[in-house]
This record gives sequence, C-alpha cells and structure tokens, in this order.
Amino acid sequence: MPVRPLRRINDRRWTRLLRDPAFWVGATLVTSLILAATIGPSLVAHDPNYQYRVSEGGLDANGDPVPPGGRFVLGTDSLGRDELSRLVAGSRTSLSVALSATFVAAVVGTLVGGVAGFAGNPQVTFGLGRARYQIRLPVETGLMRLTDVVLSLPAILLALAVAAVVRPSQWTAAIVIAALLWTATARIVYGRVLDVKRQDFVLAAESLGVSPARILVRHVWPHVAPLVLIYATLGISAAVIFEATLSYLGAGTQVPTASWGSMVSDHRDFFTTQPSLVLLPGLAIVMTVLGFNLLGDALRDAFDPRQVSVGEATERVNATSAVSASSEA
Amino acid sequence: MFAHRSSHRLPHRRLVAMAMLVLAACNPSGSTSPSASGPGGSGGAPQAPTGTLSIAFLSDVQTLDPAQGYDVVSWPAERLIFETLLGYDAEANIVPLLAASLPEVSDDGLTFTFTLREGVNFVQSDGTIVKEMTADDVVASLNRLLNPDLLPNASPVASTFFALIEGADAVAAGDATEASGIEKIDDQTVAITITEANQTFLNILAMPFGAILPADSPTNAEEVTASPIGTGPFLLESRESGQQLTFVTNPHYWNPAAQLVAQIDFRVGVDPTSALQQAETGDLDIMADNPPAGQISALLADDTLTDRVFRSSLVATQFMAMDVSGDTPLNNLLVRQAIASAIDKENITAIAHLGQPAPCILPPPMPGYDPNCDPYPYDPDHARDLLAEAGFADGFDITLYTTTNDPDPAIGAAIQQDLDAIGITVEVIPQAFDVLLGTIVIPHEAGMVYIGWFQDFPDPADFYDPILSCATNVEGNFNLAWYCNEDVDALAADARSEPDSTARIEMYRQLFNDVMEDAPWVPIYYPEQLTVVSERVRNFFHHPAWIFDFGSYDIEE
Repeated sequence: MPVRPLRRINDRRWTRLLRDPAFWVGATLVTSLILAATIGPSLVAHDPNYQYRVSEGGLDANGDPVPPGGRFVLGTDSLGRDELSRLVAGSRTSLSVALSATFVAAVVGTLVGGVAGFAGNPQVTFGLGRARYQIRLPVETGLMRLTDVVLSLPAILLALAVAAVVRPSQWTAAIVIAALLWTATARIVYGRVLDVKRQDFVLAAESLGVSPARILVRHVWPHVAPLVLIYATLGISAAVIFEATLSYLGAGTQVPTASWGSMVSDHRDFFTTQPSLVLLPGLAIVMTVLGFNLLGDALRDAFDPRQVSVGEATERVNATSAVSASSEA
Repeated sequence: MFAHRSSHRLPHRRLVAMAMLVLAACNPSGSTSPSASGPGGSGGAPQAPTGTLSIAFLSDVQTLDPAQGYDVVSWPAERLIFETLLGYDAEANIVPLLAASLPEVSDDGLTFTFTLREGVNFVQSDGTIVKEMTADDVVASLNRLLNPDLLPNASPVASTFFALIEGADAVAAGDATEASGIEKIDDQTVAITITEANQTFLNILAMPFGAILPADSPTNAEEVTASPIGTGPFLLESRESGQQLTFVTNPHYWNPAAQLVAQIDFRVGVDPTSALQQAETGDLDIMADNPPAGQISALLADDTLTDRVFRSSLVATQFMAMDVSGDTPLNNLLVRQAIASAIDKENITAIAHLGQPAPCILPPPMPGYDPNCDPYPYDPDHARDLLAEAGFADGFDITLYTTTNDPDPAIGAAIQQDLDAIGITVEVIPQAFDVLLGTIVIPHEAGMVYIGWFQDFPDPADFYDPILSCATNVEGNFNLAWYCNEDVDALAADARSEPDSTARIEMYRQLFNDVMEDAPWVPIYYPEQLTVVSERVRNFFHHPAWIFDFGSYDIEE
C-alpha cells in the first residue's frame, strides 16, 4: 500500500481536523485542565492542604464535612480541607504525572519500536582467527519480544508490588506508568517503520546510496512523528486513569498531596451522606480522560485515518505486515 | 493490647488485638440486662435453644488456639469453645467458671487454690464426649501456655502476664516442662503459686489465654484450630477459611440454661460498608466492626434505628507515644510538653467521630481514672514558648508512624498540621498493622507512634505494666516511648501488691499523673464502640470486659 507524499495532503489534514467537533470539545477540555493546573492554584481562596478545624468552620460539630456553598464553594472534605482547592491541586498532580510518564513512554517506545523496525535482525560478519562467521543479531526479535513480555505484565499487580518495595509517591506512580505505557508506542512505531521501510521512495533512496541515518531522519521519521504525537495524546488519558487507580489503591500519590484518585478513595464512605466528595473528583477524572481521548481521536482521524484505536494497535501491527506482504506479492 | 480498628486495605494480619472493658454500666439504651453470662446466669429457656445468630467481621479468625489468639476476632470465637477457670459477669466482676468457686488465697497472697467444677466434659466437634475435666487438664493447660516450643510461636503472654507464676522462667528457658508453681492437689483441686503478690492475677487467669484444654492437646496451633476440643457452650461445626465459621450448641454443656441460640455464624471478610447495609436490612444480626466514619452521623440521626444502634465507651486510649530516650529532640521534656500542648484533641476526636478527647492516659471506665487530670490543654502559643525555651524555636523534623486503618492516616495528617503550626515538620508513615507491630518493638526506630491501647483485663495495671514499665524498656516489647522512670516503677510495684483496693486505685491515679508529668504519651481520645444489630436480636449489650459476649445474646425467630 503506497504512502502518499506528505506535503501535498497536509493542508487537507488540517482542514479535516478543524472541522471535527471532537477536536474542539477535546481541545476545550484539555485547555481548561491545563489552565486549572497552571494558574488555578493561584486563583483559589484556600490552601488545598490546610485542614480547617471544627473551631474554624471546616467541619461541623459532628466532625462531618461542610456541604457546598458559602465560604467553601464546593464544601470541605473529611479533614476540613477546601474541596475546590483540592480539585484544582489534583489537576496539577494528575497532569504532571500523566505528562511526565507519557513523555518518557513516548521516547522509550519510539526508540524501541524504531530501532526494532529499522534495524531488523542485521547480519554481522566477524573473524575469529582465520575463520569468518556470519550471524544475525536478534535486535528486532529481542526488542519486540521484550515488548510482548512487558505487555503481558498485570499492570496493577506490578504497581502494587513496586509500592510494597519502595515508599509510594506520585513519582513512583509515574515511573510505573511509563514502564508499562511505552509498549503501545513501541508496537505502533515498529509497525509503521516496517511499513515505510518497504516503500518505493525508501528503496529508491537506499539504491542511490543514501546513508541509513539520513533515510531514517528524512524519509521514515516524518511518517512516524504524527503517530507518536497521536498516541501520546491518547496515552495521557490512560496515564490519568492509571494514576487515579494507583492513588485510589494507596499505591500512588500520598497524603497530603491532592490526587483525584485518593480523593475518591478517601471518601468512599461518604458516598451516601456527602456524594459530591466522590462525584466531583470522579467527574474531574472523566472530563480529563474524555478531553484527551477526543483530542487524540480527532488528531488520529485527521493525520492517520487508517488507525482505529489504541486497543486495536496490536491487530494493526499484524494487519500492516499482512498488507505489506500482499502488496509485495 | 493494641487497638486494631477495622481495616479497608489489609484483610490479612496476625495481630495483637484489643481487649475491652467498661466497669461502669454501659448499657446505652436501656435494653434488658443479660440473662445469662457464665455460671449462675439465671433465665434462659429450658427447652432446646433455637435460631441462628449471624455476626460479621472484616478480619478472619486468626487461630482458635487459646495460647496464641490475641485479637478481637479470635478471642470471641475461642470463648465459644473454650472456658477459663474464672470469667466475668455482665458487670465485669470476676466470677468462677470452670472453678467451682473463687480461689482460696494464702495469707501471703502468693498461692491461689482452685476447686474445680464437677461434671464438666471435653467435647469434640462431632458432639462426642472425649473425657471429663480433671486437675491434670488444668495443670497441663497452664504449662502448655508457658511451653517455649509451641507452634508456630511461643505464646505472646508466656514471658509477660504469666511469667509471674513460680517456675515459669525455668519452663520458658527449657529447663523444665512443668512450672513448680502449678500444682495438682487432688483430681478436683489445683494450687497456683506466684512469685510476688499481684492483685490482678485473677484478671490474668480470666483472659482466654488461661483456657483449659485436654491434657494431651497438641502443641501445634493449627491442629487445635482444625479440631478444637473444649468445655464451652458451642462446638465448631465447620470452617471455611476467609468466609465463615459455624458454631453449634454443645449438647453436653454443663450449664444448658446459658445456651440461648442453636447456632452462631461468624461471617468473616465482610467490608464494614456492606455489613452495615446487611444489618440495616436484617440479613445480618450483629455488625462487630464500627461503621465507616462517613456514615456514623447519619446512623445516629436515623430515628428508625434508635433501638438497634448501641454505643458505649471502650476501655481504651488512642495516643501518640514519643521516644523519650532516643537521639532526637523528643528526649527533651520541654519539647514533649510543647507537643502535648500543640495537639487539638477536640478536632481529632471530631474527625474520628466515636470518642471523647483524652486529657490523660486512663480512660473513664477504668478504675483510677482521674477527671481532674488535664496537664496539657490545647494552647499552641504556650507550645511555641516551650519549644523556644527548649532551644528549638526553629523546630525540627520527626517521623510519625501509624496504621493504614481508617481513620488513623487522617489523624496522622491532623497531628502533622498541628505540629507544623509550632514549627515541627512531621513525616507521617502509615504502615499495615502487622508491619507496624514489627517496627515499634525496635527501640528508637520510630520517633513518634500513633496507635491505641485496649485493656486486656479491667485493671489499671494493664495500662502500665505491659507498655510503660522499666521491664518493657527492651527490644521486643511494646514500650513505644522507651520510657523508664524508676520512681514510677517503684510505685507500680507497690500498687501491684497493695491488698486494699481503694488505696491501690489511688496509687494508680497518682502513678498515671506522675507519668503524664514526664509526657511520654500524648493521649488523644477515648474511643467508643458503635454496633448495629438486626431487629431479631434480643439481650444485646456491650459487655464491659469483652465488648461482645456472643453467647449471651438471644434471637427472636
């Protein structure tokens, strides 16, 4: 299957993106999240970690949280902390963990997938005494089987095991997320590199004697870069969910740092009496994930219309090979 | 023993548990007083008991071996199957159980002679009689408790409470198999001799550790747990690990009038949130754990539940211990007094929902409680002055260990903020309960520890001897503050042997006031128990010694 040259169709892609309502909804949600995480903390009235005592009005006489309204716009939590301030602080936690984990995952995934796809299992020749040997270095096999192994690890169990060994924090959560998330990028990049490597323009460049490094940068990377961006965007939403899950289980962000996951977890018991303490952080998680998913989907529809979703990435890799094989035949 | 509240995160643990008792009458809603609790209980139906009483716990029963069990779920289960020489009536007075009467005490107060109840049978799980109980079984059971070769571990009380029996040290050291202080006089009479006068020895014997097993009982707790053979009102019919223990009436029990229901089910591994729903709808008869903090106000405000919600004080104190002899600023008395003045106990009690602020160590139901004791009222300004006087005007960093059980981490956060206000930076380290128990027996490992202490038996000695005495100021003990004051220890020795109970209680009042002057602990609050029962339950009350006395509750069909 031919890959069209890039420049000719770029304009059409941007047009398609800007006409997609999913893009606008996603972009709005993501922009507001970024605003909340960056300038939000300086706009709210209270310190997110300050526990207003019973005597200071943060808890009622029974020791229960204050309901929304009045001095505390969204009420207080079970320790008398301002719920709105904690939601805003939670956006910063969520975003910083998700962005850093996704960035690391994208870099590692691109390197692994790119090297495996581009280098394959190269044949090397070396001499030992007078004898000469030829062997295949299993670069591709090694890297991609490693990817399979990591993909097969049960994510939550791995995270809980890490939390049992080192003291959990938002940064250990970020490391665990990155350690699991790179595999999706690696497989997608690998599939695309395999695909592009067999295209006529690459074969032509090779036969003209262009160096592999130049082929990689000039001819392969431009086809891979949009993919990495798209899947990083979708990866952010996966990372947000995973950070919330880990914090909910107590293996992520620790007290007193606000995290939406632990805010839900800490107030499970209040679900019948003060539902907003569970619903608000839950809604924040949903909106964030929705925002990044819509944005990622819109980017993908515009720049990589053949892809369907992250979940089908595996099939996609296989399908790419099959299509390439049949087109070669 | 250490307070162990319900845990949402760690269903598995082997733990030291809580004991319990309120001397004051603690029947919160005027329900009828229990008709049968141990021997002499009057009332109860003459015909065969009917009905099934179901009880939900979050934690599983750890063991049924009375030499091993030391937690809030194992103790009540053991007490259905096994009995001790002495027990408590509904007002927590000591009464004879397997003994025919209270023991004769020698003039020096060291020898206790027990005459055993006649016609008591050991019955195995299938309902067949194994043998009749004799003095040999009593001697063997107490020696078994001291045996250092028990599996999986020696009994946790062999080297503490029961070490005062004459010759116990030789058994513990492996030099003897029988303590010289445990002596069979004839088939129905046993004499127990202790090394120094101790007014609380009868309480020690009434703990489930003192249960009587057949003389040839195995040393392995697993075997005892698999097929327990006791003299108690119930038999273990079946056990499904992590799910349920089913107890049925012992047909050969010596006091059939005390058997009120045909069957008792311990449902274990039940989350408090679901247990609460089940108790409200009647699918469950008794919820043994406290309800989640977030639902307590709603529960207390619900008029339809008034007759089914029982609230009473526990004989327990939630406190923060400070390492008085370690290499931190906490070894400075002024610093400890500053910390004690900096903590807003009212606020923490409100967060915990069930309890009263604790100005001093002994909780109100415990004899020796001093209502006038309040040496360190909340005063952050005074705390800052004290800290400056101690030379720490700029504060310092310190760690605070606590459990992961609700609401302990929240209380850790509240303490963190209170101390931050006077310049002390606290790192809160929540640890799973059993992990924490391993941490706190290492001297000076933890700067500060927030935990609770529940009585093992209704005597103020239990709030000093196991946790604050000089004898426990060595690795492997629970002296969380690593505290030793020789003067206070001398007073404790006098109090232990003082025969006049009024004078003795006064000595303990003085003792705990002296301890508070040294400020090894910051008492935080005295916790309460809140129990929801179904409409079918009759005779429910919180027992002042056991909290729950499941054998004395009835059920209406």
